[in-house]
Amino acid sequence: MHITFVKKVLASGEPCAKCRDVEERLERTGLISRIDRVVVADERDARSEGMRLARRHEVDRAPFFLVLNEDITTVYTVYLKFVRDVLGGEPSPGAELDEARELLRAHPDLDLI
Amino acid sequence: MHGKDFVDSQPRTHPREVLEDAFRRFDRDRLAISFSGAEDVVLVDMASRIVGRDAPVFSLDTGRLHAETYRFLEAVRERYGIEIELLFPDAVEVERLVGAKGLFSFYRDGHGECCAIRKIQPLRRKLGELDAWITGQRQDQSVTRTELPVEQVDAAFSTPGRTVTKFNPLAHWSSEDVWAYIREYDVPYNPLHDHGMRSIGCEPCTRAIAAHQHEREGRWWWENDDDKECGLHAQNRIPAKAVA
Repeated sequence: MHITFVKKVLASGEPCAKCRDVEERLERTGLISRIDRVVVADERDARSEGMRLARRHEVDRAPFFLVLNEDITTVYTVYLKFVRDVLGGEPSPGAELDEARELLRAHPDLDLI
Repeated sequence: MHGKDFVDSQPRTHPREVLEDAFRRFDRDRLAISFSGAEDVVLVDMASRIVGRDAPVFSLDTGRLHAETYRFLEAVRERYGIEIELLFPDAVEVERLVGAKGLFSFYRDGHGECCAIRKIQPLRRKLGELDAWITGQRQDQSVTRTELPVEQVDAAFSTPGRTVTKFNPLAHWSSEDVWAYIREYDVPYNPLHDHGMRSIGCEPCTRAIAAHQHEREGRWWWENDDDKECGLHAQNRIPAKAVA
């Protein structure tokens, strides 16, 4: 398994808040050691590797994770789902609600259900 | 997830045929229609014509629906002789939210937290029991749905080793198509539609709109739809091989 973490840099040069939050969580929990590559999607450079990966995998928001397993690449745009499904992370208090909020953020049309 | 994640090889298939296909391919106890209490009642009507009273239907009872919607759910249950499974939010989560932030926090903080508690979590629990679900989503409802297929692997609720299929039989129907069906087959409808509410959700988050307005404007009107912070300014396309 090979895991790529794609984080975004805004046009201002600052990292996006969500990406920063996710990266801090990975570091705090030690799960950053399970990430094989960290790639930047730089809004100022459409040719940056992260932007190219986003186009190739048709992802329209960051951060996201690419998980290559047995020649199949799976895209995760919900951090907590990635942690649970791929890294086998333990759910923390409130994690279920956080994941539900992330699901809504990643799939905004769900609120119209 | 393996292979193609959404299937739309017959994009103009009639919704009834999509439903017939879904009921043919999935066991009745592993498939259900999500009914919002709005014009997606046409799915209930079509399904009842296919499988009669066995049509598996659930609704998300957020606790904040209009009284008219509750009466309508009951009217649909009686008209078609079906069971409508009502899914409720976790009481502890609701108490925590309301206790900490009051009954109308969504006007200040956005609707994400409230919808996550009252809709997404109950829906997720339900979909944990199913292999497939059927929604009334249409391409013309929102800018986020313009490429909605009639069938897709549900990227939000599938997990490694467990695929959830999502059918959107009305994907290519317009609002006019839906209302033509309702009139032609004398399908009961939520009376709120007669009061200018084209999209019906929770009472505090739904308002009447004018004829020229997009139906999304009748929901969460105080918020900006764009999530610019996380957007990658790529085309808004449904990701392939995505699980969430």
